[in-house]
Amino acid sequence: MATTTKHEVGTWDTFHHNGPFPTKVQYNTSLEGKGNMPSLIDRYNDAAAEMQRLLKTALDAGEGFRAFGSRWSMNNIAHQKDNMHFNALMNLKKPVLEDEMQAGSVYQFANLFFVQCGNVIKDLHQFAFDHGKSLRCTGASNGQTIGGCLSTGVHGSALDVGAVQDWVVGLNLIIGPNPDDIVYLERHTDPALNAVFAGRIKARVIRNDELFNAALVGLGSFGFIHGVVIHTEDRYLLKRYVKRINKDVALQLAATMDFANSTFTIPGETDANGKGNRPFHYKIFINPYVDDPEYVVEAIYKKPFVLAYPDPLPRIKTAVYRDLIILFMKIAEKFKNSIPKLIKVLQASVLPPVDLEVTGTLGEIFWDAPFQGPAYAIAVGIDNANAPRALDLLCKLAREEGPIPGIYAMRFVKQSKATMAFTRFPVTCMLEIDGLIWKGKKNKLISLEEFCTRTIEVLKNANIPFTIHWGKNADWSFPGLVQHMYGNKAITWMEHRSALLNEKTAKLFSNKFLEDTGLDVFISNVSPNLAKSVV
Amino acid sequence: MHRPFAKSPVSIQFLLLVITCGLLLTSCYSVRFVDKRGTGEPDPFSTSDDPFFRGLKVTTLDTTITLKPHLGDPMFLESCNARGFYAFQYRVTFGGVLLSAITFGRKRQVRIKYVCMKEQ
Repeated sequence: MATTTKHEVGTWDTFHHNGPFPTKVQYNTSLEGKGNMPSLIDRYNDAAAEMQRLLKTALDAGEGFRAFGSRWSMNNIAHQKDNMHFNALMNLKKPVLEDEMQAGSVYQFANLFFVQCGNVIKDLHQFAFDHGKSLRCTGASNGQTIGGCLSTGVHGSALDVGAVQDWVVGLNLIIGPNPDDIVYLERHTDPALNAVFAGRIKARVIRNDELFNAALVGLGSFGFIHGVVIHTEDRYLLKRYVKRINKDVALQLAATMDFANSTFTIPGETDANGKGNRPFHYKIFINPYVDDPEYVVEAIYKKPFVLAYPDPLPRIKTAVYRDLIILFMKIAEKFKNSIPKLIKVLQASVLPPVDLEVTGTLGEIFWDAPFQGPAYAIAVGIDNANAPRALDLLCKLAREEGPIPGIYAMRFVKQSKATMAFTRFPVTCMLEIDGLIWKGKKNKLISLEEFCTRTIEVLKNANIPFTIHWGKNADWSFPGLVQHMYGNKAITWMEHRSALLNEKTAKLFSNKFLEDTGLDVFISNVSPNLAKSVV
Repeated sequence: MHRPFAKSPVSIQFLLLVITCGLLLTSCYSVRFVDKRGTGEPDPFSTSDDPFFRGLKVTTLDTTITLKPHLGDPMFLESCNARGFYAFQYRVTFGGVLLSAITFGRKRQVRIKYVCMKEQ
């Protein structure tokens, strides 16, 4: 039997210390040992039974329940005041078998894997690699659980792939304590697995595009994500270049993604006519306090996999001494005017070295990111055509109403089909501001909270449509924020959630974040067909 | 003839202090070995001050062992799961080096932290 320990914790915090948040109970579930239960599917179903037991306990007590894994979100989206569930030890994974494929599916079974919620991206990199495959994209690092990635829409910057949820083709949710509360969701226009597979995990199949798209970025509120079916591809390598290029050229590329007609080319990364190839990934780093005629950019190109390539990870790795950053923050808080200078100094440690060229797998290029103290991250999504204007406005905000201790960056992501994906524009520019948490008011700096609010106001006033990364810092209580960002899509999302769950389970899987954003509303009169298979 | 060190015992004391501090600081260090493809066993209650170990289940060995002269190097038998070790870190301190030196290697200070691989 899977075993769960119960801890009356009092508080819960994120990995980057964005809390603490008051919390009654934390459960930790460990799977049954392989020696005691050799069948992987038996262990998986055993864990499902354990989860249903925990859900029943919470439901009977009229309490909430929420899973968390690596705690990488930088707000309270993963928090629930009554019951938190640590699922990072639930990390079973298996290749999909040929007899589990739905007839007519466009997928090759060898490219599909069924993985449990607590697998972190690094686990999945290695598992896929061991099967001759590669994940299609990830975030900038590898520590998030797959369940957390989906729930918050973790994005990489793969121009033609999308975010993590865009390579997920099936979802196994536990939506309550009853036998028919174990459901397996797919798109009806894009099926992958069949009744044989669903029977093995004792799930009821629902094939419905709109329901699947709504549940995909479900903010932890469509039930307990127990397992997902991921779509991988054959192994490939990535070649990463870091260059310093003219600011106008960098921003022109940001706005157009027209690499073929840009003056920015890298020898060896051009076509037969000498025009620039389209990279797998494009990122621009910006120091908002320096009017530099050049920006540092990172361009990554996809290459065929070969066995022999130089190891991209150094044998001996060192990192910026954590206390140096803490010291930096303390100085920055006391000397408001020195922040831009200090950022300039720290830039050398934060930015990758220019003219770097390195080749590796996706997992090697986006390797471990060490914890370096209490951190914040603000990330807004905008249509890439608006990227230069939004960057200008938000840099101006930092200069005129700041300073704030942070570095800016822009990444670019293909549009997602998920209803509430913040990568909702044809090409979404994720404009990010990363730094370490500072105490604003104490030292007469703008506070993080105020800066987050001003970010929203500035973009709204400029009539730039935007979204915000679900797992990052923002003024989530800003009136009408979600409606402004998603319009009717937010209603569609709530309708499908209301159709899949009942009023009690909708409350079970709700939390303060959902209440703050107004997405907790249960719509009682929705058509039950919204949660049924489309034939 | 001006002979500052000879005439000023304070300076000599200061010099000795600096040398001692230098010895203490430079002889106290940690080295960490990490499996680059592996994932460490998580522990949601880990509150390690060391950012590397944050969120990981860490086992600490902090002891001094006494060896008989005819025995070889000691071996600690630890139990990780079948996937083995993810990371270990040893720490060398000035006190540990001094202890080993003055006991001719009979007493050895052992300061190790390790993390097992995540199971399954």
